[in-house]
Amino acid sequence: MEVQKEAQRIMTLSVWKMYHSRMQRGGLRLHRSLQLSLVMRSARELYLSAKVEALDLETPSTPTRCPPLSPEPMDTQEDEEEASPRAAETLARCSAHPARVGRKRRSSSLSNGVDAGLVPSKKARLEEKEEAEDASSEVPDRLLPPPAQAEGAFPNLARVLQRSFSGLLNRGPTAPPTAPPARDAKPVCRPADPVLSVLVRAVVAF
Amino acid sequence: MHQPPPASCSRSSRCECARVGVRVSALAPSQRPAPLPAGSPAPLPPEPASRGTSALLPVRLGPWCSPTGSPAPLSCETGCGEGSWILVCRLLVPTQVNLLSMEEDIDTRKINNSFLRDHSYATEADIISTVEFNHTGELLATGDKGGRVVIFQREQESKNQVHRRGEYNVYSTFQSHEPEFDYLKSLEIEEKINKIRWLPQQNAAYFLLSTNDKTVKLWKVSERDKRPEGYNLKDEEGRLRDPATITTLRVPVLRPMDLMVEATPRRVFANAHTYHINSISVNSDYETYMSADDLRINLWNFEITNQSFNIVDIKPANMEELTEVITAAEFHPHHCNTFVYSSSKGTIRLCDMRASALCDRHTKFFEEPEDPSNRSFFSEIISSISDVKFSHSGRYIMTRDYLTVKVWDLNMENRPIETYQVHDYLRSKLCSLYENDCIFDKFECVWNGSDSVIMTGSYNNFFRMFDRNTKRDVTLEASRENSKPRAILKPRKVCVGGKRRKDEISVDSLDFSKKILHTAWHPSENIIAVAATNNLYIFQDKVN
Repeated sequence: MEVQKEAQRIMTLSVWKMYHSRMQRGGLRLHRSLQLSLVMRSARELYLSAKVEALDLETPSTPTRCPPLSPEPMDTQEDEEEASPRAAETLARCSAHPARVGRKRRSSSLSNGVDAGLVPSKKARLEEKEEAEDASSEVPDRLLPPPAQAEGAFPNLARVLQRSFSGLLNRGPTAPPTAPPARDAKPVCRPADPVLSVLVRAVVAF
Repeated sequence: MHQPPPASCSRSSRCECARVGVRVSALAPSQRPAPLPAGSPAPLPPEPASRGTSALLPVRLGPWCSPTGSPAPLSCETGCGEGSWILVCRLLVPTQVNLLSMEEDIDTRKINNSFLRDHSYATEADIISTVEFNHTGELLATGDKGGRVVIFQREQESKNQVHRRGEYNVYSTFQSHEPEFDYLKSLEIEEKINKIRWLPQQNAAYFLLSTNDKTVKLWKVSERDKRPEGYNLKDEEGRLRDPATITTLRVPVLRPMDLMVEATPRRVFANAHTYHINSISVNSDYETYMSADDLRINLWNFEITNQSFNIVDIKPANMEELTEVITAAEFHPHHCNTFVYSSSKGTIRLCDMRASALCDRHTKFFEEPEDPSNRSFFSEIISSISDVKFSHSGRYIMTRDYLTVKVWDLNMENRPIETYQVHDYLRSKLCSLYENDCIFDKFECVWNGSDSVIMTGSYNNFFRMFDRNTKRDVTLEASRENSKPRAILKPRKVCVGGKRRKDEISVDSLDFSKKILHTAWHPSENIIAVAATNNLYIFQDKVN
């Protein structure tokens, strides 16, 4: 829980910094923005893997063997890379298992865990808005590519932000132009709303 | 913990360690003591810096705050074998605000400039953003955030005041860059001087390159000490004479006048960079130079301002795939075809311009595999290299990332040959440093003239020197408390944990707003210039 909070704090902080870097003299600094997005990505991974862990721990009958993350979020993250594949299998298993919220049950009933992320769910979106903290725990495979590869922080930035905060499930792999639609069904953290949309615009404008 | 100095220096009697107090700084015109009689030793200051002992200490390159390591000063090339650093002068960048204080800091008043005496009065425009000695060390240029360049000149040795040599006085001040506005992007372009590089002197005038985020300018600084008199068509005040009154013809003669130093912009190299320029470097052929921004490096000829060659371009086709940016670049000191550039991922690439016109494919790639035990949340951003410098010999390169300085041999790409921890105690504080933005600070590093010592800055106005031969290091502080003239610098120590000894400072009480990002080392002597916010400190090792 602490880990999640810490990671969320870092994410919010990074977002704030990115936003304010636009306002400073001299304009957006590419290097600084890149570094901020790297931190944001790490925070997001941490947050999500912590989320997965939390779910794991709450459901003792889960057959997963994920060791609990250390409470100190800034500690070495050698399991960061492992967290992603672990998250995948965890989620795969979790989805098959009677989860605590209706949302999870719904998706698990629809398909196997792997496809859970691909199924759009309007109800999920609504529920997300109520439960501010419940980030996307069932967005499995979409998470995997970004963290592992050094593909670049910007690419998924827009998608990252959506997923982290809104738990939106995209409609299949052709999700690239997510920026515009995503902006509408925006994040849960209301105060960050305008910030994130600005951010997305900033990233796209790049 | 430093030890008190030995009662008598155990070196030969020629050693001048004891007579440190002789130097007089220009900052104390009213306090200049009567010249000391030749034979008497100067009184030792109350707390002299440790000079170590002449016995060989075990070589250790551990964390510098380890209690058993002696923060011994470094050997110097000139003067005695074991020197200590003394303050030569503290200079302040002149500003528009005239604040001549009459209070206790009377010794900081300088004769021909107005000064700020207190940091709290300093405006942000006065913050020094770059420091550079010229090739002979006679001139020292500083650039600040307000777009100004101030050049200091070393005082000439004179028979009367032989001990005043080594001080730097203001030679010229000019406004190099002005704030601009990019209307197309609705962006303001900062006038802050990012880098200054001197050209080697080829005639009586001095030339330097100064750059802000977008534009590089070549400035000519020349002296004028004669003026023509005796014009035919103008009288002495410059008014035109009535031609009817001119009955004779004369040749104007040059008569001496007060020295005037004028700076004129000779070339302006603009509109070549989309991103922010972070480095410039003059080529050893003295005809070309390069300017590097976040994604591209351009090669210029000094004579041609409307064209430049792009020699490195790492911009990806899809900006979303961007993973690294260029952080610094420099030409090889002797080979005009070779240059290096560093990246935000902690890698250095060496390129040979003979290989192809576009040097996107590097000739050598320097990267150290990451130490998995040190991996942390902020690993990626602290591995970003903030400065890269060739050694004077051209054999080594030195890189500075957030916590370390590394020396690489050009012939070995897989790891550096030396790694020095600058302030490893910050490793556990990265999160708070991220919050206060200090983790993004770009520190620079410099070599001394003989490539035996390297220096870099830290927080709390500390700066560190590492002797590559003896493996000793020292931490010194550039502070106003020590800025009495002739003050000897006392080595400082940061206490990591546990008991804090007297004179040590704990990590939590470090002032992170006082950072030393820019330093410079004289090319041949042990004189260093350290920029601390709006103050420029000049320290010297040699004792006259």
